[in-house]
Amino acid sequence: MENQLPLIRLENISKSFGRVQANKDVTLEIMKGEILALLGENGAGKSTLMSILAGQLVPDTGTIYLGNKPVQLTTTDKAIAAGIGMVYQHFKLVNAMTVAENVFLGQKGGFWLNKQKMCRTVEQLAGQYGMTVDPRARIHDLSMGERQQVEILKLLHRKSTVLIFDEPTAVLTPSEADNLFDTMKIMVAKGKGIVFISHKLEEVMAAADNIAILRRGEIVDRVAAADVSSTAELAERMVGREVLLQVDKRVVEPHQSVLKVEELSGQQMKEINLEVRQGEILALVGVAGNGQKPLVEAICGLSKPLPGTVTLLGMEWRKFFKKGGWKNTLSYIPEDRQGLATCQGLDLLDNFLLTTRGGFSRGPWLKREEAREKANLLLEEFDIRPPDLTAFAWQLSGGNLQKMVLAREFYRKPRLIVAEQPTQGLDIAATEDVWNLLLQARNRAGILLVTGDLNEAFALSDRIGVMYNGRIVDTFRTDNKEKVEQIPQMMAGLAIS
Amino acid sequence: MEIAIIIPLLAAAVQSGTPILYATLGEIFTEKSGVLNLGVEGAMIIGALAGFIVSRYTGSPALGFLMAGFAGALATSIHGVVCLWFRGNQVVSGLALTILGAGLANYLGTSYVGISAPGFKTMAVPLLSSIPVLGPIFFNQDILVYISYFIPPAMYIFFTSSRFGLGLRAAGEYPAAATAAGLNVAAYRWFGIMVGGFFMGLGGAYLSLAYTHLWTTNLTGGRGWIAVALVIFAFWRPGRAVLGAYLFGGIMALQLRLQALGTQLPSSILLMLPYALTVFVLVISSWRKKTSEEPAALGVNLEPVD
Repeated sequence: MENQLPLIRLENISKSFGRVQANKDVTLEIMKGEILALLGENGAGKSTLMSILAGQLVPDTGTIYLGNKPVQLTTTDKAIAAGIGMVYQHFKLVNAMTVAENVFLGQKGGFWLNKQKMCRTVEQLAGQYGMTVDPRARIHDLSMGERQQVEILKLLHRKSTVLIFDEPTAVLTPSEADNLFDTMKIMVAKGKGIVFISHKLEEVMAAADNIAILRRGEIVDRVAAADVSSTAELAERMVGREVLLQVDKRVVEPHQSVLKVEELSGQQMKEINLEVRQGEILALVGVAGNGQKPLVEAICGLSKPLPGTVTLLGMEWRKFFKKGGWKNTLSYIPEDRQGLATCQGLDLLDNFLLTTRGGFSRGPWLKREEAREKANLLLEEFDIRPPDLTAFAWQLSGGNLQKMVLAREFYRKPRLIVAEQPTQGLDIAATEDVWNLLLQARNRAGILLVTGDLNEAFALSDRIGVMYNGRIVDTFRTDNKEKVEQIPQMMAGLAIS
Repeated sequence: MEIAIIIPLLAAAVQSGTPILYATLGEIFTEKSGVLNLGVEGAMIIGALAGFIVSRYTGSPALGFLMAGFAGALATSIHGVVCLWFRGNQVVSGLALTILGAGLANYLGTSYVGISAPGFKTMAVPLLSSIPVLGPIFFNQDILVYISYFIPPAMYIFFTSSRFGLGLRAAGEYPAAATAAGLNVAAYRWFGIMVGGFFMGLGGAYLSLAYTHLWTTNLTGGRGWIAVALVIFAFWRPGRAVLGAYLFGGIMALQLRLQALGTQLPSSILLMLPYALTVFVLVISSWRKKTSEEPAALGVNLEPVD
């Protein structure tokens, strides 16, 4: 194996976007019959590197070798011709067309299409790699896992020798992910090379043969999966420091009540009672869809709390939202940070002003200069990249966008914070940052944390409430070991003796 | 009504529906590639004038008809330059094309107003025209009508069963997927615009070379807009376009006949009928979920390439 020629060799690849260096001197080999995992945090340059390989971006410097001869992959066409195929995170499939049509799209051949033959070919190909998708089905009728199979079939049909998967399991159910890994193993057994981009440590350990770790655009480590003893070790290599997913939590004395929900029912909710005091974090855990969403919407003023009462900062619901005010009130950190929390097509300054404009207005006018100064300070303080207020929200990675939302909301000095899945989809470093920010905010505010991640609840909360089927089954202190152990049963709705 | 009245009326419906059919098919072709071209009216009238002039000076209506197609394509190529090169707004560009086409044709055609040119004559198809009912309706027409019978099936087969048609539809549904598959989406869209414009030009020429043999100002009279609406009515299917075009042709023919018969209805109400029907048809078509039929990337410009 040592002397075998790699399928593809990237040599000293560098790429910058303006001042941001996305890839720096990257050298990487993709071998036949190997699953190589490319592991890195958000914004580490994984996607840029693979876009270069797929012919979508041209590197500033460096050479790509196909076998032993250098090639210029300036267009996707050339990359495809060179046998490099990419399974994108957002599938590039035409929804209105059938599976077979998608597979044959862009393929050379005669003027006419032979539909029977197309379907047969696709069916056979799918069978060879353990896939089950129906070639006659239209894409919009398929599940995410099946759509991904179509993407893979497209590449296999083009005789791609190197397949790149960009976070392939992000949209899959666990069983679909297992099927995918089986298919990957068949592919490498048939002599293909696979690169698989991920930040999920467990699956990298499970599926990959070799792991390359990318940090700030550079390859910092290369290990065989067999030599890695634990995901913790991998995590440490990835962020380059000891990851303490235990954040330092000092006890803060709870003060007055900032949120009180009494006998709230309706819209999947059943007689919910809860109270949050300043200086504490109440974590609501539970499987998604057990009433968390309507509860949050009622508390944040998106829907009327009927029947029941919600009291915020000592004011009745209607009065509270009528009074408004941008400072010292309620901050909502929604789960949907790209839809509800920000406007994708606006720049960071405008996004900053979305909820803080009250502080920067004089009569009907906005004091933009003042806002720009403040926002720039926040970008620095929260280490948001790129630190550029003219960047659009859609240009930011998930972690940076979330930090931007937190920066904005904390600037309002809220006394009540409702945070919904605040670290979903974030990498370890970003998660840690967000946790620390929430804990800091606790000194001034009461926090209602809605999360599906138990570790998050344990790390942050003072009290935990478990939701099941529209009810809060139980609420207890996080240091109550006996109750904490029963959380899985409570979440599953099993009776507690 | 008696059959002696109905059959000529239906024959007239086919005849006045044919220019709309050409234009609608042209717009379907363009929209399938993902480009919304609201300049149908402009491309039609330029085609009408070009066909008329060529026929008048060469004496060959066939050459005039062909040249009308190229003139239509030339006109819509402006739309291509704006939308594909400069990524301008497709709606605005289409509207501008309509205004430009009408203005240009009326200006250049001033000296031809009221003058006639050689055109196409009715030519009964042997055998077929003697079929009862259908014969006089469909096979006692001019050759341009017969040509139009072949286009919808040809277009349908092109879309569904040819490699090129597959690429064209992909360009209209999801350009990013087409690009990822190695297709040149801009080239497909250019093709969609030019071929579409060719058919729009033919539709215009039908008016100046077969429907009338005369040139008058504002000859197309809003038929281009009806075609735009019919594309939605037809759910982007060439076959249904035939139905829609003949329906409108029928209303137009009926309206003329009613006027000739001297009904009590004011003529302005009768003249309004086709346009009122356009609104009605759009409402009805929107009722049914049209979103699944519409090319998903219709009217969306291509992302600039870095």
